[in-house]
Amino acid sequence: MSLVKRPNATAEWFLPGIIFGLWFTLKKMLWNLFNQKKMPTLNYPEEKYEYGPRFKGNHVLTVKKDGSIRCTACMLCATNCPAQCIKITAAESNDPSVEKYPIAYEIDVLRCVYCGFCEEACPVDAIRMGPEWQTAALNGSKFTYDIQQLAYRPQLKGGIVSVLDEKERHQAGI
Amino acid sequence: MPKVKINGKEVEVAAGSTIIQAFKASGQEICHYCWHPGLSVAGVCRLCMVQIEGMPKLQIACNTEVKEGMVINNTSPMVKETVQWGLDFHLINHPLDCPICDQAGECGLQDQYMQFGKYDPQMAEAKVKKHKVIDLGPTVVLDSERCILCSRCVRFTDEVSKTNELGIFNRGDRSEIGCVEGKPLNNNYSLNTVDICPVGALTSKDFRFRQRVWYLKEADSICPGCSTGCNVKVSYNEEGLWRIKPRENKEVNGHWMCDTGRDSYKFVNLKARLLAGKIGKRDSWQDVAVADAARSAGLKLRETVEKHGADSVALVLTGQYTNEEYADILKFFTGTLKSKNVYHWLNNPEKVNEFDGLLFRGDRNPNTKGLEAAMKNSGAAAGPTSGKWETLQSQLASKKVKVVLVAGPENQATFPDLNEKIKMLQQAETLVWMTAGHNATLDQAGSETWQIPLKTYIEKAGSFTNFQGKVQSFKAGTTIVPQALTLSEAAMLLSGHDIDWNLRPKGLGGPKTNYSITQRGTL
Repeated sequence: MSLVKRPNATAEWFLPGIIFGLWFTLKKMLWNLFNQKKMPTLNYPEEKYEYGPRFKGNHVLTVKKDGSIRCTACMLCATNCPAQCIKITAAESNDPSVEKYPIAYEIDVLRCVYCGFCEEACPVDAIRMGPEWQTAALNGSKFTYDIQQLAYRPQLKGGIVSVLDEKERHQAGI
Repeated sequence: MPKVKINGKEVEVAAGSTIIQAFKASGQEICHYCWHPGLSVAGVCRLCMVQIEGMPKLQIACNTEVKEGMVINNTSPMVKETVQWGLDFHLINHPLDCPICDQAGECGLQDQYMQFGKYDPQMAEAKVKKHKVIDLGPTVVLDSERCILCSRCVRFTDEVSKTNELGIFNRGDRSEIGCVEGKPLNNNYSLNTVDICPVGALTSKDFRFRQRVWYLKEADSICPGCSTGCNVKVSYNEEGLWRIKPRENKEVNGHWMCDTGRDSYKFVNLKARLLAGKIGKRDSWQDVAVADAARSAGLKLRETVEKHGADSVALVLTGQYTNEEYADILKFFTGTLKSKNVYHWLNNPEKVNEFDGLLFRGDRNPNTKGLEAAMKNSGAAAGPTSGKWETLQSQLASKKVKVVLVAGPENQATFPDLNEKIKMLQQAETLVWMTAGHNATLDQAGSETWQIPLKTYIEKAGSFTNFQGKVQSFKAGTTIVPQALTLSEAAMLLSGHDIDWNLRPKGLGGPKTNYSITQRGTL
């Protein structure tokens, strides 16, 4: 059973409705004209909204103090990813203290659901979700982020340093 | 046959067996590292502690013999606590680098900790740092920090491969596994040490960092590397096969397999495979559907037999197919074509009887015995003698044989003279070559050639007869090239019949690609 509200006799008169609508628009326009600072809308794209640092936006791969990538290619993020949008290719590093590192790390952001499970799964603080949220691009292939984009894009200013440092841990005897 | 009671369950075991064997026989779980059914007892890990009624202290199950009427348990709080703190001692110097460690997912320490440990570590001291990423030889990498010194690998090289490359050096918590005086670990059984290593200390260079083990599924199969026919399990995922590990079979291979056999996953993977039927010759290849290629080849064979008689066709078989397939292809050849021109192509006749004393045999075909038997059954008179090859050679040279049908080698690496033999067979007017992989020499064919893709051992069910005459059957594990045919299906299509296309398996997903690159357009 569905309840359908039938229009009553007064509502069939359209003129009061139009006049009310016009008056409402005029009222808001006049209010905004004299209280421009209180206006809730932004002049996008000249003005942009800044979200808090805990916002789960675009992924960031953190770096070590020397600027190399922090990720150890353990693939826990790829295993935990419900959208299966992370593809990692691991390789043997020449540096014995690194041993394993990703030669390719790709995130298909159009498949990503921004759940943050990768961040939670990561044992070494190698992947984080940052406050950036603008992902517009002109070409379909631009939505697959590689290491260059994830770790060293210009917005990150040389990379975000991971809180977990292997050398410090090693020296502390952990 | 003494009877013992294990955790309240009565078990009867052979006299002289140890308590841990009784545990395995009764199907109950017991924590252990150093004990391995294929090796001697070391008793160094002290984790298989059990309580025996009437004994004041706990005993290790691996080195205590079963006596009549023993009442054993490993579930009392005392045993549980001992095992827990035993595990804590093992983990004192074990680094927490599971994310990098290749063993994660199939690690003895991870499993045993979750099953028997689950304690809060009470060790405040810093971990002892040892060497990492030590190159032990051409196949194995050692990480001595992860090693828990169970000595399984040392005992393996001592007792099974008898090469004695490995040893334990230094004392106390500075003990490390290493090679004796820089002698590298390069025997043909070295990768078994990786299999028996309960932690990630020994890793295989071939498999290291290629895949995480939790992405892999396992299927049981028979190794096609040589005529021993080791029982193996194959690890695979959507992208193909990644490694081969031995499966226990006391009558054939025990717990082990050779390193050469472990390479027999490589020719199965997509890169090495023939994906469609090919008809033509050099510079004029035409890709056709597999079924069409087989049908047209069959038509060609039958026409040739009608025109020039049954002796104008020849069948060449290699020992790398199953007994069932041999029966079918020989039935087609001797029944439908009524030809007895069947040849057994043996890759290295001079090495057939070689044996390295453990597992690896010189006859690098899994089913030579089966092929010989099938040829005898079908009445096709031919044996693996060089004289027979000369007959074929002279027949080819005199153009008596017009069409040669070849079931080529699946594992091309085992045929050292493959290219010369292909050139010899190309003397025929038409060559119908059925095989799993592609071959560069074949692609340069000067005469008319059919290439028909066949399935490999992991994609079909069947049986191999090993050197002992033992028939070992196996099931299909996975499918890499769904359009490829088995030799039986090829025989059906060659003889003009059809096969049930609805029953054919689907292929794997193939390598994971991010969808956007290929499919998405431009805005």
